[in-house]
Amino acid sequence: MQRSQTLGEILDSRGVSRRAFLKYASYVSALMALPAGSAAAMAEGLAAARRQSVIWLSFQECTGCTESLTRSFSPTLESLIFDFISLDYHHTLQAASGEAAEKARETAMAENKGKYIVVVDGAVSTKDGGLYSTIAGVANVDMLRASVKDALAVIAVGTCAAFGGIPKARPNPTGAAPVDEIVTDKPVINIPGCPPIPEAMAGVISYLVSFGKLPELDDLRRPKAFFGETIHDRCYRRPFYERGLFADGFDDAGARQGYCLYKVGCKGPVTYNSCATLKWNGGVSFPIQSGHGCLGCSEPDFWDQGGFYRPLSTSLRDLGPALAGAAVAGAALGAGAAWASRRHQAAYVKEQAASEGGKK
Amino acid sequence: MTLAPASSHPHAPREAPALTGMADAVLAEVAARLEDYAETGRAATIELTAMPLTTEDRAELEAWLGRGEVAVTIESAGHSEIWETRFSGVWFVRHFGEGDRIATESIEIADAPLIVRSHPADMRAAARRLAALCADQSTRTRRDA
Amino acid sequence: MTLLDFARGPALQAALIIFVLGAVWRIVGALTAPWRLVPANPREGALSPAVAALKGVFVKMWPHKPFQQAGLFTFVNGYVFHFGLAIVVLLFTPHILFIKGLTGLNWPGLPSNLIYMVAVITGASLIAGLVHRLRSPVLQLISRNDDYLSWLLTFLPVVTGLLATSHLGARYETLLALHILSICAFLIWFPFGKLMHAFLFVFSRGMTGVRMGQRGAEL
Ligand code: SF4
Repeated sequence: MQRSQTLGEILDSRGVSRRAFLKYASYVSALMALPAGSAAAMAEGLAAARRQSVIWLSFQECTGCTESLTRSFSPTLESLIFDFISLDYHHTLQAASGEAAEKARETAMAENKGKYIVVVDGAVSTKDGGLYSTIAGVANVDMLRASVKDALAVIAVGTCAAFGGIPKARPNPTGAAPVDEIVTDKPVINIPGCPPIPEAMAGVISYLVSFGKLPELDDLRRPKAFFGETIHDRCYRRPFYERGLFADGFDDAGARQGYCLYKVGCKGPVTYNSCATLKWNGGVSFPIQSGHGCLGCSEPDFWDQGGFYRPLSTSLRDLGPALAGAAVAGAALGAGAAWASRRHQAAYVKEQAASEGGKK
Repeated sequence: MTLAPASSHPHAPREAPALTGMADAVLAEVAARLEDYAETGRAATIELTAMPLTTEDRAELEAWLGRGEVAVTIESAGHSEIWETRFSGVWFVRHFGEGDRIATESIEIADAPLIVRSHPADMRAAARRLAALCADQSTRTRRDA
Repeated sequence: MTLLDFARGPALQAALIIFVLGAVWRIVGALTAPWRLVPANPREGALSPAVAALKGVFVKMWPHKPFQQAGLFTFVNGYVFHFGLAIVVLLFTPHILFIKGLTGLNWPGLPSNLIYMVAVITGASLIAGLVHRLRSPVLQLISRNDDYLSWLLTFLPVVTGLLATSHLGARYETLLALHILSICAFLIWFPFGKLMHAFLFVFSRGMTGVRMGQRGAEL
């Protein structure tokens, strides 16, 4: 495939018309709630763009993100994204391996200097020079630094890349760090989630390719289009929350009635993601619809929030012994103060009696 | 992406209102845009995909707008169904995605929806293909002769 | 560590420890301190100390006739926000879960919408109380910084709680963290200022009852 050809030309040669572009663009702009009418502009942008070179780096991860993103679409409208990008390096997916694979990465970087996108899934080990996770003998942290040097932008896919995720969970033995702690001089977009919603990924890349700029991000660098609202904001169980109807367990009458899952640990109120609207597995369901509270997987340090079943409004720490100790100490202080007061009073009475006796 | 509204799910709040009144709001918007289009020629798109409409709301809206004289299907990156409503210039555009789910749904106020029109780039490519076909045909006829 | 993690973790832990330590200290101290009764025989026909104490606690829950007119606002408004606070604190499900997490006790809550309404009334009542205090020259004379601080630390959790549930002003997690931090401030100040009346009023009223009963005064 010639790199100089536009996407419009490439797809045209395969009999794909501009209508497909327009249709795809209206799909993406609906996903991202772009202003009405952006679809046409996006379609033109996409058709005029070159195929986007993508270098995909997998570090301390479980491959769940890759699975989520590549297995989610059958060849229809949604899968067009794979025609818009050229996945020049992905060591899990690509056919080449070893030396050849690393060569492919270097070639893509050289050919698309300043124009390629680096996608990272997985956290980056930084402790002891990053020796806990290496590819072809190169530490992840070094490969990341080298790969982003001439990149246009970096997309951290999944909670591990975006926030450190499970590798960074206490006690973080490998010194795992999120991508944006290491890449400080390039634009970084975080698409967290464990795994992230595939549509978010497709939406962000399409936006980048067609408009040549980053979508609007929140303070954690997440695209607002997908992370602008909490699960709780759009949860269909919300009416039960408002009316104080809660499931107390996973198999009680409340659970069967589909009551709100707050009491069994739902983190929906503090979790920004689109699961409640976009849903999963081609729109089949999402965790709350399947009867389980939200784990908060797209938020930083979700693994260390004191337990998935601990309600949001409770203390993160086990306070029983500390509070018992405080009560005992308080009682001792109180009793001590009273004792001191009694002694003081007794001494005073004695003194008074003595001075009165003296007067007589 | 689906729009399976919450109320279609067995666990959905039973007493959730089926009709929320959102359809009225959309209809009013359509009316305003149509008036504007008739006067100034400014086309408009009302995106229904992400609107919090229930299944009942959608059905109500669809019934109100009804079906007019034109219906179009498009087979490009999946299936699409488009029809002009009872109201001239008001088009319903529905694109299907994977597994015949509705991927996007919108109302376009225009003389024809953008996606129905042929794109200049497609026409240029088609012209080239057609010219090639003609050339091919004429050589073949000459050879036969 | 995010602000919410800080609030739910170390801040809450420290505040609760200080609260329990201080409150127990003061209650035990008050109960074991010498009873300073007048060293005299009770009047003839005086109430027994137990009855006098009980009367002292309960009779004072409504003003004496002569004060009813003048003190009506204070009394009614006082009841409004005290009951309001009790309902909001004890019957909002997230709060019940918080208490359950600490003590293991559990009971059913009220619908959240109702709680929001009660909280709004409570907040308004607290403001009315402050305005009344600021406009009354007599109350001005007997108000100290403690009164204003105690008021503020009661008011803040109500406001931050309302903001958090209605998502006003900032993101929910930030507002929730501020709500929890405002409760931490409340808990830390509680044992050392006038907020402690929540525990001590029983003892002080009872003691007043006993003293007055001993002298044969009407309660
Ligand atoms: S289930 Fe979770 S997200 Fe849904 S309303 Fe209850 S607390 Fe909110």
